[in-house]
Amino acid sequence: MSRPRGIPRSLGSAVLLVVAIAVSLLFLLPVLWLLASTFRTASETFASSSPLSWSVLWPRQLTVENLASAVRSGFLTALANSLFVAVVTVIVGLAISAAAAFALAIIPFRGRSAIFTVVVLSFLVPFEAIAIPLSRMFSEWNLTNTLLALILPGLGNGLAVFTLRQFFLGIPSSLAEAAHLDGANWFRIFWSVYLPLTRPALIGAGLILFLFQWQAYLWPILVTSRQELDLAPVAIAKAFGAFTTDYGRVFAETAILALIPAIVLLALQRYFVTSVASTGSKE
Amino acid sequence: MSTAIRAGGRRHTGRSRRDLAAGAAFLAPTIALIIVLRVAPALAAVGASTKSGLPGSLAAPTFVGADVFARLFAKESFWESVRQTLVFNILVNPIQIALALALAVLLTRRLPASGLWRTLIFLPSAVPLAGSTIVWGIALRPDGPVNGALEILGLPAQPWFTSPDQVVFSMIVLASWIGIGYWMMFLIAGINDIPPVYFEAARIDGAGALRTFFSVTIPMLRRPLLFVLVADTVANFVLFAPVQILTSGGPEGNSNFLMYDIFHKSYELSDPYEASAELVVLLVIMVAIVAVQFRLLRTPEGEE
Repeated sequence: MSRPRGIPRSLGSAVLLVVAIAVSLLFLLPVLWLLASTFRTASETFASSSPLSWSVLWPRQLTVENLASAVRSGFLTALANSLFVAVVTVIVGLAISAAAAFALAIIPFRGRSAIFTVVVLSFLVPFEAIAIPLSRMFSEWNLTNTLLALILPGLGNGLAVFTLRQFFLGIPSSLAEAAHLDGANWFRIFWSVYLPLTRPALIGAGLILFLFQWQAYLWPILVTSRQELDLAPVAIAKAFGAFTTDYGRVFAETAILALIPAIVLLALQRYFVTSVASTGSKE
Repeated sequence: MSTAIRAGGRRHTGRSRRDLAAGAAFLAPTIALIIVLRVAPALAAVGASTKSGLPGSLAAPTFVGADVFARLFAKESFWESVRQTLVFNILVNPIQIALALALAVLLTRRLPASGLWRTLIFLPSAVPLAGSTIVWGIALRPDGPVNGALEILGLPAQPWFTSPDQVVFSMIVLASWIGIGYWMMFLIAGINDIPPVYFEAARIDGAGALRTFFSVTIPMLRRPLLFVLVADTVANFVLFAPVQILTSGGPEGNSNFLMYDIFHKSYELSDPYEASAELVVLLVIMVAIVAVQFRLLRTPEGEE
């Protein structure tokens, strides 16, 4: 926190502040450009970028035609699919991860730490690495082109289990013992004692599960071929790769795709930070 | 007295058996998912990599042992894919983590409105990889705004994704825009966990900003830093969407990273056996990295 002699502290801080503002703007510019391009024609977008003019970040003629075009091409179906898959994954995934985390943190049994090792290790191998052989198995089981196929891989998440387990470990074990003496079984202790205390970690783990599904791209193209089952990222990539690309529509769809997790993350940022902290130096 | 002990002992075994049953019940769905989603496909890939058959043939594929691996390892194109994957990863991961760390340090100092800057840098992390692919795929077009900005600065327009020399760099930009802010949040959480007394002690000892960074921040941040580096590497090793959407592995195979190469061989070249062998290679690398990561996640005194 010290500074070179002779430079007043305020000047050093001012330089750092300028750096912080400049970097923030750099990260923000593509977002602004994406939003501006959503509300103007594609020809205006390209005209404003070469040669570059100030209006590159601001539409001269506001239009909602791109959004309308996205709606007409069925993007809302893809968006609804993505939302459905993500929400079901969060609900079911949280139940599965919380139960596993509870067993691994609270219930004493032989071999617990070995199982913890297996759980974290196997889920830390990125899903993409085994997606292709898994998609062959899914097609043998006739799961291709089902919502179930899209949901299943998101349900097991090592980071979610890890985050929840760390949180459970931080809850005083005297609570569980007191409940035991009152004759409560493990399920009751889990449901009535631990879960109500776990809200921040549940939100953090829920975010991890949600973002995994919202990002999904390789898996959906492996297990779905029908357009009505396209998830939002797949629908956008198809629109982008089409023979004649409607760039305005692609911008609008990408903006919507980014907006939903942005709202969720902004609203729940502090839970994300708490959950993230548990992977670090704590314990 | 002795009956009391025996009764207590019996109660104890009864309880530990009940605990085991409860543990098994709570873990059953997770174990089932591990078997279906990780173990079975990994075994299937290993199995398929030892077989060979003619594409489209109805005859069952025959067991050929390590022949497919031998065929794969003899191919120049496989090694090119390995090389480009390594080049990309050796660049992208240190760049992302170094910038994430620099920003984390900057934004944990008491700057005016530091929460706002943090949020603005974190915001792109919300953009899915496919979305970042679209944004940068268009922004880096020859007639896109990035080249427009270069021209205003008096610099020549660049070919970006269309040039074999710049495609890896362009991929790094695309991945870092959403990656840096994400990993920065982990490191900010880590820095905030460092007890302030250490910084206070450094200040009293008259340590400068650089000295404090290397003697306090870095050593105290070792665990989150290594975790983030390994997690980032694992994610970037299987980078797929930008390659498939923008370059199809080109130009001149320079963005033909392993994950895309495997996908391409499986579906477009219809060589599932060689693709499986290549997948096994990728899996071995992933398991090795994850094993390192797991060691880092364990606490020094064991995992309890």
